[in-house]
Amino acid sequence: MPLFRPQGLHGDDIDFENTWSIIASAFKEIHTKNASRLSYEELYRHAYRIVLKKKGEELYNRVHQFEQDWLGHEVRGSILSLFSPNLLADAQSLGSTTANERRVAGERFLKGLKQAWGDHQVCMSMLADVLMYMDRVYCQDNRRPSIYNAAMVLFQKEILQSATSDVAGRVVLGLLNHVILDQIQMERDGDVIDKHLIKSCVYMLGDLYEDELESDDQRLYTTSFEREYLETSRGFYRGEAELLLRDSDAGAYCKQARRRIYEEEERCKSTLLEVTMPKIQKVVEDELIKNRIREVVDMESGVRFMIDNDRLTELNLVYDLNSRVDDKKDEVTRAVQKRIVAMGADVNNAALAASQAPAAAAEAGDKAKGPAQDKGLNQQTVAAIKWVEDVLELKDKFDRIWSESFQSDILLQSALTRSFADFINSSAFPRSSEYISLFIDENMKKGIKGKTEMEIDMVLDKAITLLRYIQDKDLFERYYKKHLCRRLLMNKSVSNEVEKQMISKMKIELGNNFTVKLEAMFKDMAISEELTAGFKTHVEGLGEKDPKRIELGINVLTSMTWPLETMGGAGDDDEGRRSKCNFPPSIDRIKRGFEKYYNQKHSGRQLTWLANMGSADVKAVFPKVQQRDGSTKERRHDLNVSTYGMVILLLFNELPAEENLTFEEIQAQTNIPQNDLIRNLQSLAVAPKTRILIKEPMSKDVKPTDRFSFNEGFTGKFVKIKVGVVSSGNKVESDRERRETEKKNDASREYQIEAAVVRIMKQRKELLHQQLVMETLSQLAGKFKPEVNMIKKRIENLIEREYLERIDTAEMDSYRYLA
Amino acid sequence: MSETTPSEYVTLVSNDGYEFKILRSAACIAGAIKKALDPLSGFRENAQSRVDLPTINGVILEKVCEYLYYNQKHVESKEVPDMDIPPELCLELLIAADYLDC
Repeated sequence: MPLFRPQGLHGDDIDFENTWSIIASAFKEIHTKNASRLSYEELYRHAYRIVLKKKGEELYNRVHQFEQDWLGHEVRGSILSLFSPNLLADAQSLGSTTANERRVAGERFLKGLKQAWGDHQVCMSMLADVLMYMDRVYCQDNRRPSIYNAAMVLFQKEILQSATSDVAGRVVLGLLNHVILDQIQMERDGDVIDKHLIKSCVYMLGDLYEDELESDDQRLYTTSFEREYLETSRGFYRGEAELLLRDSDAGAYCKQARRRIYEEEERCKSTLLEVTMPKIQKVVEDELIKNRIREVVDMESGVRFMIDNDRLTELNLVYDLNSRVDDKKDEVTRAVQKRIVAMGADVNNAALAASQAPAAAAEAGDKAKGPAQDKGLNQQTVAAIKWVEDVLELKDKFDRIWSESFQSDILLQSALTRSFADFINSSAFPRSSEYISLFIDENMKKGIKGKTEMEIDMVLDKAITLLRYIQDKDLFERYYKKHLCRRLLMNKSVSNEVEKQMISKMKIELGNNFTVKLEAMFKDMAISEELTAGFKTHVEGLGEKDPKRIELGINVLTSMTWPLETMGGAGDDDEGRRSKCNFPPSIDRIKRGFEKYYNQKHSGRQLTWLANMGSADVKAVFPKVQQRDGSTKERRHDLNVSTYGMVILLLFNELPAEENLTFEEIQAQTNIPQNDLIRNLQSLAVAPKTRILIKEPMSKDVKPTDRFSFNEGFTGKFVKIKVGVVSSGNKVESDRERRETEKKNDASREYQIEAAVVRIMKQRKELLHQQLVMETLSQLAGKFKPEVNMIKKRIENLIEREYLERIDTAEMDSYRYLA
Repeated sequence: MSETTPSEYVTLVSNDGYEFKILRSAACIAGAIKKALDPLSGFRENAQSRVDLPTINGVILEKVCEYLYYNQKHVESKEVPDMDIPPELCLELLIAADYLDC
């Protein structure tokens, strides 16, 4: 049984000094870890009664004084005993000690401090328990900090702020910061340190405050340690960036930077407080990335080098770093765009060089494509196809970089697209539309032979990919129509199905308007087939069983839809093309027959015969003439010639053997335009394998004075012989032709611009000049990008023609629509 | 300082010698008792699992124990029936409650 006390809690006055001395000696026991001998209830009861007797303030002050004395004498002494020369040497930054010595001394100091702090916390928590009633009643009533908190502040003041006696003004806290920072620096240099120990000390700083108000931003950790930490880190990383930029390549720099960021993140978790994480990351990012990214990107081993050498991982690193400090990834974007435009310009220049130096290009092309290279393929076409393939390769390369290194970043995707469009539409390289169309043309004619559907689809998609970049879609349409027209009329397409597939792909990509005329071309072809068949049955129905009957296959083409002007061949002026060729009577008869048949079906339509586009199968019999091998057999050949060629050959049917015709005579009789005539005569009389006519004198060129006669001694290996007309294949246009095409294109643009302007004005009635131009541009964006000057001229023109008028009273240039 | 797991029951002793063995969890509802028994502090009460309360007599302490159990039982329920408190004990119970912090 404990001592029985008869008086209750509210008994007589108590002897304060006496009671306090009991409490004080008990506290001493607690501080020396002898609490198990003490009765909590007894101590609590003493304190309770003192407070009850209104001596709370005195008690509080006594406890405060007691703690101050205890910390000031006992604890401080033990801390001071931890100071060693190594520790202090470090503090003075003398550098005369090794890192290891410093680490050991530092750890000893940290351990001592951690111990003192831990003890203080435990003891104060016990004291606070005993003094619970004082906290509850006295402190609350008098707005004083709880005794526990007050004691924490005491620790801060008595221990951390006490002078270290080595350097004037340096206190234990400063030394502590320094030791921790030194240890962290050791870790950065690769040493292993006691993170747990440091973390304990950091927690201490996190639990202590500058003053008794205990506001969050007054934590010692924040006000003292963290600030110093960020400052030294900034210095360290600035130096490291300097060093890395000087000594290593961009890839290594990025790796190191990323490692440092990761390290600091880990350090915040394992050694420091996590509140520091965003702050230190900003420091690292600022020093290693933000201030340096430009230098890194532009290094010799920077982005350009990485792109050229497909360093996808390193590019990813650069991207990752850049995106840390900049949402827009400006630096990486800038570098990548620059590279694309440069590489694109190389591709463009290579294509231009190839097309300007045909011989060299032919060699290069032959080497590239091997012996299987089609001889007929024009060197410029090779250049065109190579260009397309190069661009696609570039696109593949950057697509791969984009998906693997740039995490399929949307912003970068649009930047890439912009750059591709930039060089593809570069004014220094006006041929992209034509080249893309040629690429499709080549594939339609040969490329897709023997390929699976999937592969064909891929080729088509490639073409569409490039088409997307093209700004002047109208120019592309013009070329595509021209090439498609040749393919259709000359039956060059490998597969009609694929042609239609292509059209429907373009329809998806560019809209209905774009393909409407192309589709009409296919429709014309289908109708023509019906007409041909219909006409055949019609002729048979006439019962005219002529063994020499001539079969007619016909294509009726709507002149608005087909680019007939581009099929006339170069050098024709309007009259020349329109002039009518004189057909031989047998042909003329059937021609009239068809015209009659057609007019019955569609009255009021005018048919224009384009002999320059047609071809004919002619059965030719070569008489028994002494051959080189001595045989005298009669030889029959089926000759496939152009319509003009047929007309020319038929002239010789009526000519007695041994007689000849001059060029001028042929021209007079047939009325074939001079240019076409020369080309056809070249293929009939000059080309070695199809020399059906003999030309005198034998020379390569055809002159007006040349004479021609039938080559009775003609031999051929095959029964069927195709007489190709010189230079009828699709090829790249000459500069002059292209200027021609562009001129025509500009003309059609003028109409489109006018139409757009009128549409806009009709709707808006009145509009500012600037706005009108903007709207016109946006309306036409899908088709092409008109020059502002051209729009201005069209507006002037429309004013002259009184579609619009200027508003004189307006301040800014503006127009009114005249209905 | 004993490192053994704390016993389930503790003993509260009144000034007239009555001993009440009650659940530790119930006893610790009273702040002062809880702190006396706190194993981290390691006062004598903790080692003995026994708290002498020389300012409270048996009658009151019995009522206090009743209250501690009553509190523990109803701590999570919403409608709590009134506890039967004899009026003549009221004053002394209030003093005890202030002292024990419960």
